[in-house]
Amino acid sequence: MPPSTDLLQGTLDLLILQTLAGGPMHGWGVAQRIQQVSKEVLQIGQGSLYPALHRLEYKGWIEADWGNSENNRRAKFYALTATGRKQLETELQTWERLSAAIALVLGRSVEASA
Amino acid sequence: MTKGWLRRCGFLLRQTLRPARRQSELDEELQFHLEQSMLANVAAGMTAEEARRQALVEFGGVERAREQCHQQRPGWWIDTVMQDVRYALRGFRRNPVFTITVIATLALGIGATTAVFSVVDRILFRSLPYAHDDRLVSVGLVQSLERQEFTVGGFFFDWRDNQRPFEAFASQEALPHACDLVEANPAQLNCIHAQAGFLPLLGISPVLGRNFLPEEDRPNAPRVALISYGLWLDHYNRDPGVLNRTIDVDGSAARVIGVLPQGFELPTLQAADVMMPMALDEGVERKSSPGHPMRTFARLRPGVSLAQAKAELGPLFLHTRDTLIPAPIRKDFHLSVRSLRDRETKDVQLTAWILLGSVLAVLLIACANVASLMMARGEARERELAVRSALGASRGRLVRQALTEAALLSVAGAAVGMALAEGLLRVFLALAPTGIPFLKRAGLDLRIALFTVVLSLICGAIFGLLPALQTPRAAALAARAVQSRRRTVLRRSLVVGQIAISMVLLAGAALLLRSFKNMEQQRLGMETQGVLTARIALPGFRYDTGQKKMAFYLRAEAALRLLPGIRAVAFTDSVPPGGWNSGERFSDLAAEGKPQPAPGTGGSLVTRGVTPDYFRALNIPMVRGRGFTEADRTGSAYLVVLSRLLAARMFPGEDPVGKRIRRGRDGVWFTVAGVAENVKNGGLTEPDDPEIYFLRRSVQQDWGGRMPVGEVMSGAAPVMIVDALLPAKTVAPWVRAQIAGIDPTVPVEMEPLNQSVSKLADRPRFETALLGFFAFCGLLMAVIGLYGVIAFVAAQRTQEIGVRMALGATRLDVLRLIAGEGVRLILLGGALGLAAALAAAQLLKSLLYNVGPHDPAMYAAATLLLALVALAATLIPARAAMRVEPVAALRYE
Repeated sequence: MPPSTDLLQGTLDLLILQTLAGGPMHGWGVAQRIQQVSKEVLQIGQGSLYPALHRLEYKGWIEADWGNSENNRRAKFYALTATGRKQLETELQTWERLSAAIALVLGRSVEASA
Repeated sequence: MTKGWLRRCGFLLRQTLRPARRQSELDEELQFHLEQSMLANVAAGMTAEEARRQALVEFGGVERAREQCHQQRPGWWIDTVMQDVRYALRGFRRNPVFTITVIATLALGIGATTAVFSVVDRILFRSLPYAHDDRLVSVGLVQSLERQEFTVGGFFFDWRDNQRPFEAFASQEALPHACDLVEANPAQLNCIHAQAGFLPLLGISPVLGRNFLPEEDRPNAPRVALISYGLWLDHYNRDPGVLNRTIDVDGSAARVIGVLPQGFELPTLQAADVMMPMALDEGVERKSSPGHPMRTFARLRPGVSLAQAKAELGPLFLHTRDTLIPAPIRKDFHLSVRSLRDRETKDVQLTAWILLGSVLAVLLIACANVASLMMARGEARERELAVRSALGASRGRLVRQALTEAALLSVAGAAVGMALAEGLLRVFLALAPTGIPFLKRAGLDLRIALFTVVLSLICGAIFGLLPALQTPRAAALAARAVQSRRRTVLRRSLVVGQIAISMVLLAGAALLLRSFKNMEQQRLGMETQGVLTARIALPGFRYDTGQKKMAFYLRAEAALRLLPGIRAVAFTDSVPPGGWNSGERFSDLAAEGKPQPAPGTGGSLVTRGVTPDYFRALNIPMVRGRGFTEADRTGSAYLVVLSRLLAARMFPGEDPVGKRIRRGRDGVWFTVAGVAENVKNGGLTEPDDPEIYFLRRSVQQDWGGRMPVGEVMSGAAPVMIVDALLPAKTVAPWVRAQIAGIDPTVPVEMEPLNQSVSKLADRPRFETALLGFFAFCGLLMAVIGLYGVIAFVAAQRTQEIGVRMALGATRLDVLRLIAGEGVRLILLGGALGLAAALAAAQLLKSLLYNVGPHDPAMYAAATLLLALVALAATLIPARAAMRVEPVAALRYE
């Protein structure tokens, strides 16, 4: 697997965790919320969304329960667990460090080329 | 951490238990997503139709998502494996004959190889239980009467001081001796004397205490002893306080200074419970001739080979020999240096190699069979594989499926094989308790079991994989049986190989069987039925004079003669036909008035000191003169009886009765009382030696007292022979009771004579039974292989047969056509096998008795058997082909 996908996957996990931090949500909801919040930039296809949800569920960061959706349909709701919350914090820190580092590198390279 | 594991286990459990529910939940979830997407589209103003279409497009492949979700789960691959396993099992169930044949073949190969390897491992491969065992050698003299290296005092010290090739050089006594542990809880033990350097030479150090000190290995040093681990365990309950305890061995005190390690064995493989210093007086030994006999072992310096050591020792040997051994017999002594492994197991190494070779041949046949069966199955399934491939199964998946099947078969074969190996090992043990060293301690060897399992796995996998690896041909999808010529050629060569190997095995087994029969059916020259031998070990320190010993034996004789149903009771120093006997040289005997034969000529001679009843007990007839009488025992005449062979050699064309014979140049003259018929006396397979019987008189020196020069008897303990009318089972307890009545502490070892004779044939029986068994297995498997190929060919040619019959071929022609295939394979395999067998039989030569390695009758028998069985295997499918209805055959596929 190329490394870029790894980064992407990790990012997707982070996005899902962050989204679920607001409260339990079903898969469709998660995808919609990410799309909305990112102003339609990030579109999550079901092909990556559901494997990611299942992966997180297996890791124990989120848990699933069947409930009723807004329009009274039976749907599977995902919620952050305690471990998931902790994981979110670490991932956030990692992300911040990473993006800061990338910004630094990019900033420096801009300076060098100027 | 624990919680995480629990959760994982929970997942696995749920998934394994309810795969259907998991599947439906996922479907529902994805369905929900799709509906939401549709609703969103409708809300955005699309028509219901358009909204649905758009949602589906956005959604993409449902199946792929499903699979990816599935693969996120832990242990998802278990499902695939389980699926493969289920599929394979279903296939096996559909084809039980194939499955059972493969498993049985594998089990036979694995079981037999494992069992045989476990037996020969210690003989051929496993390192000896000593440090630097590859550099340990047995050094000494050999001569015509003693084939194992020995040294005597003078030689030992001379060599020890002057040799260069060895870094350590030490001896143990030639024989352990029976000794008494005298204490509150007495025991009769085996004691062995060894030099202080003996254990360090072997790299053995006591588990408790210490080894002998050099000053303890001197004459008149305080007595010390090392005890065996077994004795420590049984007698002292592993009490560490045994150290420095004084024990009483044979009436004199010895201090225990250590305990030998568990599993320690003397390099001579003799049993010993107590080891004491040899304490030789060097000065005396150097001068005395012959000096104290011993077994000497040495450790080669690193980098020195056996041949180099022997060459370097050569001049030293010649020098010592010429100083110490009298000229007339000097020529008979040779130097021998052998590796310790050869010293221990030389005489069974050939047997071991032959067994290993034949079992590997069986394994080879088994592998060929498995390969052939897997290939046949692969061909039969070519269509199925093509279909699966067309339906989207990846190559990897097909290969995995093939591997799963091979692995399942191997595991099943291995499991049955291990059970078989365990059973075989028991049979071996029952067959040859004395014939093969270390057999009693042989256990299943897991390394070799693993090796055979892997080997058969590879066999099965390679040939099972062949069809899976090939790109399924489009032709295979067509509804026609495709002739795959190339693979049939491979299968045919496998069958030819199998037949050739079984031919070799059969020929070997036939030769051994003939040889064994010859051995069993030969005439011994005596009657063993109803004869019981009893060995009575008199403790030397209580029976310390010939007088005491004689008194004991004569009392025992008198007591036994009173028992009912006893025909004769006699004493001898050894019992024919095999085992130990006090050999001498023919040239030691001189007849009165004739020139003494040149020293060292005429080979060896068996001497036996017997009481008069000996001939009656063993039913040995007198051909001339008379045997000994009871009156002779107390008479003053020195009498001998000659065997017919000896009489013919010493007195050709004369009547020996009344002639006089003397032993050595200045011995007593003996008068020949009679000539007895020859008795087998060199073991079962060796040619007879001439034999002379001395009368064991009722004087103390004839019963193990000190021997005057030129006198008769050796110091060996006499063996009692009881000839009874009643079965041994009845008589043995009586004998035991009578002897216990005289002295309850002496151990008595009893054995029916026909049993000890039968024991002499233990090893040939073992070899014959095993090789016969292997030949049978090999033949069986080769025949199965042959049958498989012919049946396959017949099935392939069904249509052709239909055409031929439609064109006028008779059923006989069809039979000839199909059987001809088989006959060609049999002829080719048989011819190859015969050539190989003729070459390989040379190896058996030394194991064969009265039958040549190229005995035509045995080869004919083996060939006939193979041909008949193989033909039968060919005829079954050929007859089936012959019965085919032409119309049905034409419509075939």
